[in-house]
This record gives sequence, C-alpha cells and structure tokens, in this order.
Amino acid sequence: MSTLDTGPVTTMPATPQQNDVAMIAFPTTARGQARVRGLLNHAVLWLLCAAAILPFLWMLSTSLKTLENAMAFPPQWIPNPVRWQNYLDVLSSSKTSFLLWTRNTLIIAVLGVSGTVLSSAFVAYGFAKIKFKGRGVLFGIMLATMMVPFPVTMVSLFTIFRWLGEHAGIQMLGTFRPLWLPAWFGSAFNIFLLRQFFLTIPDDLSEAARIDGCSEFGIFWRIILPLARPALTVVALFAFMGIWNDFLGPLVYLQRAEQFTLALGLQNFQSQHGGTPWHQLMAASVLVVLPVVVLFFLMQKNFIEGIATTGMKG
Amino acid sequence: MNGEHKNLLKGLAFISPWMIGFCLFMAVPIGLSLYFSFCDFSNTSRALPPVYIGLGNYRELMGDEIFWQCVRNTIYYAALVLPLGLIFALGAAILLNGKIFGQSVYRTIIFLPSLVPAVAAAMLWLWLLNDQLGLINLALHKIGISDPPSWLSDPNWSMPALVLMSLWGVGNTVVIYLAGLQDVPRELYEAADIDGATPARKIWHVTLPCISPVIFFNLIMGIIGTLQAFTQMKLIMSNDGQGPQRSTYLYAVYLYDNAFKYMRMGYASAMAWLLLLAILLLTAIAAWSSKKWVHYGGK
Amino acid sequence: MNRLKLIGILALAVPGLGLLAFGPKGPKPAPADVTVVEYWEKWTGSEGEAIQQTVDDFNNTVGKEKHIFVRCLSTSGIVQKTMVATAGGVPPDIAGLWESGLAQAAAFDALTPLDDLAAAHGITADKYKKVFWDECHYKGKLYALISTPYCYALYYNKKIFRENADKLRAAGCDPDRPPRTIEELDRYAVALDERNPDGSILRTGYLPTEPGWDLSFWPYNFGGFWWDAKDKKFTFTDPHVVKCFDWMQSYSKRLGKDAVSAFRSGQGNYDSPQNSFLVGHTAMVSQGTFFAHIIEHQAPTLDYAVAPLPVASPELAGTTSCTADVLVIPKGARHPKEAFEFIAWLNTRGPMEKLCNAHCKISPLADVSDDFLKHHSNPYIKVFEDVAASPNAHGSPSIETLPNVGDELANFMTELMQLRTTAADGLAVVQRRMEQKYKDFEAKQALHVKP
Repeated sequence: MSTLDTGPVTTMPATPQQNDVAMIAFPTTARGQARVRGLLNHAVLWLLCAAAILPFLWMLSTSLKTLENAMAFPPQWIPNPVRWQNYLDVLSSSKTSFLLWTRNTLIIAVLGVSGTVLSSAFVAYGFAKIKFKGRGVLFGIMLATMMVPFPVTMVSLFTIFRWLGEHAGIQMLGTFRPLWLPAWFGSAFNIFLLRQFFLTIPDDLSEAARIDGCSEFGIFWRIILPLARPALTVVALFAFMGIWNDFLGPLVYLQRAEQFTLALGLQNFQSQHGGTPWHQLMAASVLVVLPVVVLFFLMQKNFIEGIATTGMKG
Repeated sequence: MNGEHKNLLKGLAFISPWMIGFCLFMAVPIGLSLYFSFCDFSNTSRALPPVYIGLGNYRELMGDEIFWQCVRNTIYYAALVLPLGLIFALGAAILLNGKIFGQSVYRTIIFLPSLVPAVAAAMLWLWLLNDQLGLINLALHKIGISDPPSWLSDPNWSMPALVLMSLWGVGNTVVIYLAGLQDVPRELYEAADIDGATPARKIWHVTLPCISPVIFFNLIMGIIGTLQAFTQMKLIMSNDGQGPQRSTYLYAVYLYDNAFKYMRMGYASAMAWLLLLAILLLTAIAAWSSKKWVHYGGK
Repeated sequence: MNRLKLIGILALAVPGLGLLAFGPKGPKPAPADVTVVEYWEKWTGSEGEAIQQTVDDFNNTVGKEKHIFVRCLSTSGIVQKTMVATAGGVPPDIAGLWESGLAQAAAFDALTPLDDLAAAHGITADKYKKVFWDECHYKGKLYALISTPYCYALYYNKKIFRENADKLRAAGCDPDRPPRTIEELDRYAVALDERNPDGSILRTGYLPTEPGWDLSFWPYNFGGFWWDAKDKKFTFTDPHVVKCFDWMQSYSKRLGKDAVSAFRSGQGNYDSPQNSFLVGHTAMVSQGTFFAHIIEHQAPTLDYAVAPLPVASPELAGTTSCTADVLVIPKGARHPKEAFEFIAWLNTRGPMEKLCNAHCKISPLADVSDDFLKHHSNPYIKVFEDVAASPNAHGSPSIETLPNVGDELANFMTELMQLRTTAADGLAVVQRRMEQKYKDFEAKQALHVKP
C-alpha cells in the first residue's frame, strides 16, 4: 500500500466508515465542511433516486387507472379515479392464474436459489483457496462458457434434456427440472463472483485452521462461508431475481399451462392486435416486482452491514 | 504424501459439481455449436442435418454489410456503456455506503430499475423517449433546448438513447460493489485518518485497492454483458430491434435473428464463435492487466 | 433481528409457504383412454377465450366420438417455441403460426404435408376462396389450413366527410362516397388535411404510414408487385412498384416529414395503432377486418364506413392483401391424424364462422352463410368478404426468405418516409440485397439432399 500523502488537515466526522466524495468550496469550519459534504451527498442521491424511481412510480400509477386513463397520452400521473379493483381482477381473473404462477415460480425459486448458493460457493472455494495444477485453465474454461450466446446452444440443450428423459429415465422436459436442476451444478457467474470474494479473505485464517487440524471442508464451512455472508446474500438475491423474471427458460421448457411461471404469464396480458389491458398489465407487474423489492429491502442489511472486524493485525 | 497431489485431489473434489454440470449440460452444446459454425444448418428438422461447408459461413460474414454494421453498433454501445456503467455504479455505491439517513431506502430505490419486468420497462421507455410528449424531451424544453432530438427515429440519437436506458439498470452492479465495500477493513480507514487523508485520497488509496477484485469482476462481466446485450433492444427499437437505419442493431440481436428468424443456425453459430474469440481476447487483456492493479488477500 | 425485519420476513414467508402447500394446482388432467392432441396457439385475452371455446366445442362433439382430446396451450413467442420444440424432436401436434412464415417453415422441412389427410377428409380447393387455398401451399403441396383470416379495406370517418362537405366539393370530391382511385384518394386527403395555427398537423385526410401494417402490399394497388411468383424472382425495381413508393413518399414530402413525425408520435399509444383514426385525427385508414372490434371497444360512437381500397385503375378494383393465422402440423408430431381431425372440423362452416366472428375476421371458405354476414361483429363484413373473394385478392408471397425481405423492406420504408432516400434508389438497394440472399439460399438448399 503506498504511503498516504498528507493533504489539507481536516477533522473527520465521528463515523470512520463514511466515504465522502464531495469536495467543494470549503466553509471555514471543519464541521461546516462536513455538513456541506453531507448535503451534497443527499442532493446527488436524490437525483439518482428520482431517475430510478420514476418508472416504478409510473407503473404504480398506471396500475390504479381505468383503461382509458391508462392509454391517455400524455399520461397523467395521478389516477383519477383510483381503481384498486385492478389488483383484484388480476388475482382472481379466470383468464390468468396469478396465484398458480406465483406458486410455480416459488417452487422453482426455492430449489434454484438454494442450489445456486450451495454449489457455487462450494466450487468457488476450490477455485479460490486451493492451489492445484490446471486451476487457471479450468477457471478460464468456466469463464468462456459465459461467452457463448444462448441462441446457439438452446436447441442442443433442449435435445439433451429430451435424451435424459427418454434414455436415462430422468424426465426433464415438461417438468420444472430444466429450470432449477442445472443450478445445483454451479453457475459460472456466481462462481466467479464468490471466487473474487473468497480471494479477499486473507489466507492466514485458513492456515491457522489447517494447522489446528481442520479439514478442508471444515475450513470452507466454518470459516470462509460465514465471512462471505455479504457475497452469499448477493448471490442468493440475484439468483432469486433471475428465476423470478426468467422468461426464455420457461417459454421453451414448459409444456403445460398449469406450469407457467410469472414472467411467462405476464406475457399473456399482451394482445396480438392491440387492446392490451395496460392497467391490468401494470397491476400484475407491480405484484410481480413487489416480493423482490421487499426481499431486497430486508436482505440488504446482510450485505451492507459491516462484518465484525476480522481481528487482523496489519 | 505429495502435497501437490493432495491439493490436486482436493481442488478437483471441490470443483467437481461444476465439472459434472459442464460435461452434462455445456460441453456438448458448445462443442456442437462450433461444429455448426462450419456447416449449413437450419436446425428446424431432424431430416435436414448439418452439411459441412468449411469456412463458408465465416467467409459470408466477412462480406455481410449488416454484420459489419452490427459490429460497429456493438462497439459503439459497449465503449459507452462499459466505462460509464462501471464508474457510475462505483460512484453510487460509494455514496450509498456512507451512514446517511435513510440509506436503506436510497439503496432499494437505486436497485428498483433492475426489478421492473422487461415488458413494463420497455413500455415506460417508449413513453419517456417519445419526441413530442416524452418526459425527457419535455425536461429538455424546460431547460431551454428548443429542438430536442427524436430519440427513437433519429439514427444519430438512437444509440445514446439505448445507452441511457442501459445505464438506468445499473443497480445490479451497485449492489455487487456495495457488498465488496463491506470487506474493506476499518483499520485501514482509521490509519488513513490518522495520516490526515482527504476523502478523495482515502478512496484512491484505501477503497479502490481493497475492492479491486470486485472491480475486476464487474469489468469482466461488463465486457461479457455489453457485447451480448439483447433483450431491451429487441423490445424497444423499431423494426424488431434494428432501429432507424439499423443504428441500434446489436450483434447479439442479429445473431438471434439469424438463429430463429432466418433459420440459419450455422451462420449464427459462426457469429457466436467470432464473438467468443473477441470476448476472450478482451478478457485476456483485462486479466493480464489485472496483475498490476488487482490486490487479493485483503492486502 | 429487529422486529420490523421479522415482520417483513414473515410477511413474505407465510404467504409463500401457504402457496406452496395449498396453492392452486391447475386443471385436472385429460380423461384417460383418449388421444391427447397438443395444440399451441398465440392468442390471449378475448381471442384466446374464443379459441378455447372452439377447442371445447370440438372436444365435446367430434372429440368425444373419436376419443380425441385437444389440449390448447396459449403461449407467446409461438414461432420460437414451436421451432425449438420441433428441432428438439418434441413438437406439438398442432401449432398456430402465421401464413407469412409458411414458405420458410416448409422449405426447411419443419412441417408435415397435409395433402393426403385433406383428400381423405374431402377438403379441396373449391371449398375455399382462392387466395386462402393458395396461401396454404408451398411448391404445390398443402402445408396448412386456415384458422382466422382477414384482409384490408378503407375505413373512413363519415362525420369528417359530412363536416367538410364544402371543402371536398371544392376539390372535386363527392362527400357522400369514399375515394375509389388513388388519384381521388390524394384529392380527398388534401381536402381533409387540417393544420393547427402553429403549423403542426391537426388532422390528416390520409397518411399511408398510419398505421401502415400492410404497406408492402400496396404495389398491388398500382398494378405490380415486387415478387414474380412464376419465375421466382424479385422485381423491386418494377415501374409500378417504384410508382407506388414514390406515391407513399409524396405524403411525407407534402406534409413535411418532421410534421408527420410529430403528428405520429404525438398520438402516443405506442402499442395500439388505432389512436389516430379513433379520435378523428385521421379521416381514412387502411385497416384489417378486426379493426371494427377495436372501434367498438375504444370509440363506439364513431360514425364510420368501409369501402374497398382505392386502386390506380378500374380493373384493379377489389385489390386487397389477405393474411391469415394458420394451423400446421409440425414434422415429427406424435398424433398427426388425430390433429387433423380437429383442423378438418374447424374448416367446416359452422365452427369456422363461429370462431371468425368471435375474432371479428372473415371466413376463408367459399361458402358463407347469410347468418354470418348479417350478424357479424363487423357491420361492414360484406365489403371484406367481397374483396377477399375477388380475383384481385393477394396473399403473402411464397418466399422462403420472407423474414429477410420483411426486415429489409421495413428498413427501406423508414428511410423512404424520412426522406433519406428516393424510391428508386432505395428499391435498387433492396433488390440487390434480396437477390443475393435468395441466391445464397438456393445454393445452400442444394446442399441438402432430402430423403
């Protein structure tokens, strides 16, 4: 680590974890400076958030409109009248099976997320913490698998699933399995992510445990995994989101209407010759997004909160 | 007991799930796609198997005007989105990492765009970018620009519109950075404070090096992602994703069209392998340069 | 864990677990001892309901007799899903595709020929309007049968005509009837244009690109076309075709391309193409049979009528483009015979008229009942039926590379209307590219020796 130059002397605010980015015209007191920096932080954040939340607000707004108001142009922001009925229509409609889709998506999500987290962490540990011959090459191959666009492998994969069903007795097509079973063999994206995180954990910890006679798996399970909680939460969150919003997989692999997932079902709201019920589509979209938002809001403490200090002496 | 040998066994044991998965689900399709790239293959019927034509597809690609247009478009797109996205996301993550009042709410809001279903997002952006009554042009009018661009129909402005849309969905990258920022040990910041460092210096000398593995991850995934960008373009741009004068026709979209619209799986496979080579090259460069700026082990 | 977080997690977990354990499990499986025919369709909403009704009708009558149960799956991305499944060896028994993709699918051997099955059921050419029977063929073989067809005609706003009667008469037009020739159409359009004080367009009499779904067919109205079916070659540079696109571009030139862009985007409604006509901002549009359905829902008080499309000269009267949704049996389907039972049943007058009425479309059959004409959801159904039966009705050209052509033409027309190219130059480019693509296609086809 290069030595730190001494810049202008300032007293830092009480919270050492704060990263202030703003460097603007200096008020004379240190406290004044900190306050201005704080205000600027808020201002920038407000701008970013405004840009980010706008679409969601619009989705919400449209979901409470009547169809005419929803299609009005330019769009009005405040629905008038407010139509909560849209949500009831979406949930209870006979044309769509919202609850059924949610159930299906939940099943796939639970199986898929647990598979992804466990297997990706397991494999990532091998790539990160065990030095063995050929590791680099295998890691490179794994990265390379992410560089092959899906259209060219889709049909071959479909055929493999069919073959598994017809010749190996593992029925894949027409079930949920193609959507979650591969996750139990690790996903390149998550393996890569976790490997990077594992690499930031100093080796001294593992060394100490090894000297104490701990098995490799024990080190993995008891030392590395707990330390990587932020990364594991991110992996779980992304995996959940991926499955929740996946459209292409269900489209190709599911053959029965009663197996449809939310993303697929959402498409059913669109109509071929115009006449899409936008207000209902938005209500459905809000319902689809809401669980993930709540999940994120609750889970973020897991990957934001600082972990207990590692007790490392520099 | 050979330590190296033991390590090899242990290592293979740990990565065995991935290796099995690779052999089961990936090796054959990827290998086949390489073979298809040397064939004429429509992939529509078992009665029409691939016919070997050597480098025919690759030769045809070299002379394909649309192919080269897509290459140009994709380079333009990636050159903008990759650096802007990385820096933007990093800045946002650093901002959101501080103990600011309501930070949970801010973080959730920044992440929201990634959660909006593609269909809803497409509709929304079509409205935002409308040149008469879209919010963006209305805002531009308000700040004095009397003749704002026609985002969706002007070939000069369609790509910037696409870039803007992509940057809006940067929440995923922000979250990964946030997780990485947690691993920066407090002691280092405290040491920096003692040395009297300014916030900017702290970021440059403490934060960035500590999260350099995460930056590396986002860089590689950014390369892989931007060069394969597909969904939003197809949904929003006119002419099935091509855009005015094919200005937003991206490589991955043309690839998809060749595979599923024009029924030329062999041709699409050739495109896929060219893309793979390009990504590999860029990744190798990034990995080689990473030796200089990525620090592992919390050092 | 603080209380708020606990509540939040419970709020998610309890309904989640509840759904998993007790949630809906979908409809009961089909009765045993029947052949299940898998039918994939693209329709959702009310059209989807109509299809399901049709399937139910079959299952309760012929299906019961012959122990066939048709299971309909409504799915988006139907072409992709069908193609992947067919290539992967597990296609559906029936797929609802578009007739424009027929040539390509047939050329790539993805479809089962239906000639024998059709003959066995007594389905012959004379049962259909010629254009629809031809559309289902590729290289002389039958590959599909129609499910819901439609064609295009001129919808015009009678109220606008009435209110602008003086202007129309001054331009030599008769306000009591719609234009019949292209030249008249132009005169009517100019007379009915109206501008705002600031110069922007308030109303257009007619605008080819509003909505512009059938633009590639308009050369027929000028007496030519860009594909010679006999010699199987492209004729984009044919003088009739050039004249047609020159005419199209003239609207952009006359009204001003920026004014047109502003007009079109100011209408909003990105998805629905009907806005401009429905709110009275366009006096005449070329639209499909189903448009009446949309008018009924969105603008029920609109005072409109329908007439055949205007043409360049009288012998072209009744020119229209006919498109259709078709039912195909993909190659490798498990139950082609049973599948065809359903298709054949649908192609009889009773079921077909019921379905087409529900979709607000015309019937592909030559024999149409009076009931259909009298009680159809489109009050002007007779106009559509007549033009579809006329000798000047045209279907999609049978070109194996049609998707390429479609994309190239779309690109060309954007450039044309933005005044970035002329008809002659643009069409020359399209001609060159499409010729090359077709040559490549034929060369590659020759490599595959079909069994």
